Amino acid sequence: MEVVAFLFYYITPYIAVAVFFGGIGYRLYRWWKRPPVTSHLSLYPRPRGRAGRLLDALVDVFTLKGLLRVNKPLWIGGFVMHLGLLLILIGHIRAFTDFYFLWDLLQWGEEQQHQFSAVAGTIAGILFTVPLFYLLARRWSGPVKWLSTPEDYFLLFLLITIALTGFHMRLLTRVAVDELHTFFRGLATFQWQPAPTSTGTAFIYHFAFVQILMVYFPFSKLMHTIGGMFSKMVARS
Amino acid sequence: MGVLTQLVQNLRQRISRPLQYYYDVCVRCGACIDACHFYSYSRDPAHIPAYRVMLAKRLTQGGNGSNELVRWYRDLGMLDGRAVEELEKAMWECTGCRRCAVFCPFDLDTALMISAGRYTLLQEGIGPEMIAEIGNAEVSKGEIIDMIKDFYLEQVKSLEARLQEEFASDLQIPVEKEGARVLYVPLVGEHAIVPAAKIFHAAGEDWTLSLFTATNHSYFVGDMAKAKQAARWIVEEAKRLGVKVIAYPECGHATRTLFSFFEGWFGDEIAGIERVNILQLVADYLQEGRIRVQPGTFDVPLTYHDPCNLGRNGGIFEEPRLLIRSVATDFRELTPNRELNWCCGGGGGLVAAPEMKEVRMKAGRKKVEQIQRTGAKWVVTACENCKAQLRDLNEHYKLDVEIKGVIDLVADALVL
Repeated sequence: MEVVAFLFYYITPYIAVAVFFGGIGYRLYRWWKRPPVTSHLSLYPRPRGRAGRLLDALVDVFTLKGLLRVNKPLWIGGFVMHLGLLLILIGHIRAFTDFYFLWDLLQWGEEQQHQFSAVAGTIAGILFTVPLFYLLARRWSGPVKWLSTPEDYFLLFLLITIALTGFHMRLLTRVAVDELHTFFRGLATFQWQPAPTSTGTAFIYHFAFVQILMVYFPFSKLMHTIGGMFSKMVARS
Repeated sequence: MGVLTQLVQNLRQRISRPLQYYYDVCVRCGACIDACHFYSYSRDPAHIPAYRVMLAKRLTQGGNGSNELVRWYRDLGMLDGRAVEELEKAMWECTGCRRCAVFCPFDLDTALMISAGRYTLLQEGIGPEMIAEIGNAEVSKGEIIDMIKDFYLEQVKSLEARLQEEFASDLQIPVEKEGARVLYVPLVGEHAIVPAAKIFHAAGEDWTLSLFTATNHSYFVGDMAKAKQAARWIVEEAKRLGVKVIAYPECGHATRTLFSFFEGWFGDEIAGIERVNILQLVADYLQEGRIRVQPGTFDVPLTYHDPCNLGRNGGIFEEPRLLIRSVATDFRELTPNRELNWCCGGGGGLVAAPEMKEVRMKAGRKKVEQIQRTGAKWVVTACENCKAQLRDLNEHYKLDVEIKGVIDLVADALVL
């Protein structure tokens, strides 16, 4: 077990990062080498001008306004989940560095920083996790069941697992961010540092599942994060 | 080589960049489930847009060597025959209306994939070959035009004489007029020429009638090489006569080829030639005061059906409404309308395929409900496909409505 933990702490992170970026590069290349179409696949009404179309696509990406118009329950599920995810990703910046300027500005000490993170992180976690269960239930019922592939279930379970191990650290332990900084900076500079201890055992599970997600990401439907913008621009060409 | 193996190879060759995005981006969220009028009656997964994409993707993606793929497909419990049957349903029972693309959070265009799938299936003789046959006739028309030209001119002359008697003694229907401003491309039959001729006359437009028709059935079956060839006759005619504007009639799919495909097909050849639908021209005439109409000519309750290819696929939403409101007193909107309007159920060439009649009538149920809710007596639209389908629906469901064209209304309300 210790060997496995050691691998996930110090070896596989490099593989995960390499596969993540390499895989995304490969997928971009695969899109690029396909022949483009010469026709306009526009959907109307569409905004005028290149800048207008780009702006419209971006607004749609960040608000899902198109979905809001036609399917409100799914919009709530999809939008809130993605919003929670965005907040969580921003919050995770604290694992690598910190919002020093923000704390200076607010003149917050360590205790206040922790309390703020605890509240904001928990809210973001709930925003992310509850919709995941809704989306999972949706997959199990009605016509969406026909559309659901093993990949869809796998990703939902993976994300839920990551979220729950994250909650474990957030709610049941008090994470010392300094430990995380030391550990991750050590990984980045190839000067390995001891794994964080304040996080309990949840950290290694959380970290390992995130690595699995990173490896799987480029070969899954999660590529919609990048391709979605491209396809939106096709519809506005 | 099995049918399925051939299908896989053909489909693979048609994977363009957008199609690859669609394959990779679809998260199977199911937003499109509520968009499809076929699924709304059948509850058959093969009618769900995302499922159609999954079917095609399963055939064409993953692993190398199509034989292996076919085996994999069969191993999943899909016998060769059943896979083809399901694919046939997914590809042909679709009107290409792209309502699902409006519903999709990523704007995925199922119709693009359907187009590739149809072409592939037809190569194997699977699907309504009638549509392809009409398409072939349109392609070869340019080669035999000299043989049928005299007959056509004669017909036009007699129509002109009749309109001079009925409408205006100095009305003309010019054909092959060099230097005319507008080349108007009609449909088969005088119904697409008569109202246009009246309006052009009233507006004092310098126009000429095309020897060809705007319809393009090869486009319906996804045979883009032939679709381009059929359109080429019109482009050559426009260039020979030196026109400034190509105007297409009340025909959805033809207008879509004009707006979405001409630029890619002909590039510089059509640079400087404006491409419009007749509704846009007529709306301009009205706004510029080049024609006058009698307001309130029609007081029956009427509604407007947005044809998919003019509305969400062509951007013509307001022109027909402007024209209808200028001549009618009781205009009622369908709900939903504009880009969210339900397809009539006859698009994608299905109206031209007799074996699709039953499916069409079922797929039109949403449209029937929409019309009934308005209480309208006339259903006005601007697409030949929609008109044919709406007439069939009217008969089948005993709707007791009349189907009208937008420019018919304008032509009947003209004040000379």
